[in-house]
Amino acid sequence: MTSTIAESHGRVAPSFPASPDQHLIAEPTRATLRVQSRMLAATRAFLTAQGFQELLPPVIGPVTDPGIRGSKQVDVDFYGHKYKLMTSAILYKQASLPAFDKIFYIAPNVRLEPLETAVTHRHLAEFHQIDVEIRDARREDAMELAERLVAHVVDEVVREMPGDLELLGRDRDAFREVVQGAFDRTTHKEATADLVALGHPQDPGAEIDWEGEEILSAKTSRPFFVVDYPKGSRGFYDQEDTDRPGVLRNFDLIAPEGYGELASGSEREHDYAALVTRMRETGENPAKYGWYLDLARRGIPASSGFGIGLERFTRYVTGRTAAWEASAYPKLPGVTSA
Amino acid sequence: MSTVLSASGFPEEQVRHRARAGAAGVFPALESYGSSMLGAVPVGQDPYDLLERARIVPPVFMPERLKKLIDLAREPLYTDVELDTVLGGFTSRLPLYVSAFGSTQVASHDLGEAAGRQAGRLGIPMVVGENVVPVNGYRAAADSAASPLLGRIAAYTAAADDEHGGVVVQQSTEDADAEVWNLVYSDPVSEPLLATGRLAFELKVGQGAKPGLGGLTVLGREAGDRVAEQYAMDEVFGADSDSVLRISSPGTFTEEILRQQIRLMRNNFPRVKVWVKLHPGRDIALAAATAWAAGADSVTVDGAEGGTAWAPSAFLGQVGLPLGECLTRIGRTGHCLLASGRIWEGTRAVKALALGARAVGLGRAALLAVDEDAEAGLVRLVESIALELRLLISSVGKYHVNALEADDVLLPADAATGSRTG
Repeated sequence: MTSTIAESHGRVAPSFPASPDQHLIAEPTRATLRVQSRMLAATRAFLTAQGFQELLPPVIGPVTDPGIRGSKQVDVDFYGHKYKLMTSAILYKQASLPAFDKIFYIAPNVRLEPLETAVTHRHLAEFHQIDVEIRDARREDAMELAERLVAHVVDEVVREMPGDLELLGRDRDAFREVVQGAFDRTTHKEATADLVALGHPQDPGAEIDWEGEEILSAKTSRPFFVVDYPKGSRGFYDQEDTDRPGVLRNFDLIAPEGYGELASGSEREHDYAALVTRMRETGENPAKYGWYLDLARRGIPASSGFGIGLERFTRYVTGRTAAWEASAYPKLPGVTSA
Repeated sequence: MSTVLSASGFPEEQVRHRARAGAAGVFPALESYGSSMLGAVPVGQDPYDLLERARIVPPVFMPERLKKLIDLAREPLYTDVELDTVLGGFTSRLPLYVSAFGSTQVASHDLGEAAGRQAGRLGIPMVVGENVVPVNGYRAAADSAASPLLGRIAAYTAAADDEHGGVVVQQSTEDADAEVWNLVYSDPVSEPLLATGRLAFELKVGQGAKPGLGGLTVLGREAGDRVAEQYAMDEVFGADSDSVLRISSPGTFTEEILRQQIRLMRNNFPRVKVWVKLHPGRDIALAAATAWAAGADSVTVDGAEGGTAWAPSAFLGQVGLPLGECLTRIGRTGHCLLASGRIWEGTRAVKALALGARAVGLGRAALLAVDEDAEAGLVRLVESIALELRLLISSVGKYHVNALEADDVLLPADAATGSRTG
């Protein structure tokens, strides 16, 4: 089994609970979920104050986000038609923009991740996203909002929940720089070069693997952005840079201290012909995306947005070893549970 | 029916057949579906088949034989020829693999599994065809005996050792809807293959028997209704017929689409090898080069002689580049090229290998062999081919299959030589 940075730093790998009550009544779980509840309240207050409309996310639909590395979608028999549980509601976020300029969901997602991700401490088969979309925004606007949102939520927890952080052994000093914002930015190309220099084999044409992300993450004390992922590493809705073919106008937000990726986002492709072409480039059958392409033909607004993994964000804030510890009813890839 | 007119020298009977059968007349006789396999014009009668017309030409002087003599301290024999090779990222005991057969009736469940078992025993890779999941369904690992795809994988794995061969799972445009690769990648049935680096995914761009067209399968009306949401249907056999033609899309490819699909495969499935199967298009050299540059571990070219369960008669005789022409257009490269199309014995295999293929695929030949004997038919067929390979390769003074080169083959005088682009 692969060892994570948390383990190499002497943190004990937690064992997955045998029953839901054993997990839920544990004091660290209760403290973690209290912090999570506060994070959600802070998120809603922050975004609402910025003029965002909260929508309730769809749970099923004829198609869902295909841009998910190696993970399986879950089929639902919808009166004889094959529907999917949402892996992310990205397509619906775009579809909502004619009605509301700025929206967010707290959205449940299900992704049957490859079995080997069960040991990463970061992958859950069922998780939630703080899912944000802004009409007529550039990638940089979305990054700035993500930065302010993370800083705000962390600041509120640090100020308002010192008891729970102490109970969890989370050092509040770890967040001194975080609450200031001003997260660093690096490109995928630079991150790849760093990893190769550190002896980690990273394919320059692919997503940074979770071990690579963790290595980069462990080197810093503040969250940072990785921008400009190569085409071929993400879904069709991440817009390609018109001035730099093959480069996507997207970003990941990486937490420090080895916690790894917190969020992904991008400027969105919305042009009909470009969407169809990009669907083919990502191996998709456009026929499957009927309702979405009909909408795109009529005109989807330009936008940028992101999704923050709530359990990962909670894990980082509370300093837990594994993301499943930030879920009341955790589902690990390949592990049967409540 | 009027039979007054005649038209000598004109294909009168064919015209009359179409006048009776309508659109169904574009295809071979429907009664043959499911029990016969189709391919281009018969062996020995195809003027465009370079491989058929080429000869294997041993030299008099054999420096490679001298090297082997020194190595062995005795005169080498054909039994000293080594046939093991690396193909598509797999270690194979022979420069052979079992080509894809898909969802169609001739490649039914039992034959597929029998082929899987024997290919596993032989230590050669096996490709599982497209459309198996959308048409036949995919079931959980516990039911692998009842699932054509998982059944073939399980049969192969059980019969194979941990070092040789591997399983290659195709996905076409319609398979993408069924998420075949995602399903296989995280299924416990695949784990032994993943753990030993013996699983590959093959992007099917096209096939030799019907270049530029997608898959065509005859289905009963009931089965057609079941998959109607994923596939288009055509009533070519008439609205009152029990059969309908299921049409797959070949998928749209440009250089950029092929490049990015391969990159996405590498990104999404880092534990598998990436194979690409091309139809014999006139730009085959550019397409193969594009695939390799994007990181494909292997490119398969399926020549126009390639077999199929169903294709329009016009395509069988007159569409697509023959395999030999594909190989000369691509030329010898340092990359892994696989070749299929009417391979069933050693000479055609040696010619293809000499012209640049790393290995050759057995399609119809493999199916016939397992149909002849489900336990050992393919094993015996392959033994016969392996013997011929050793005999022929030693005759040109070589002692490893990878040592074959273009000089070992004499192409017919009118054949194009050198690499040309489409």
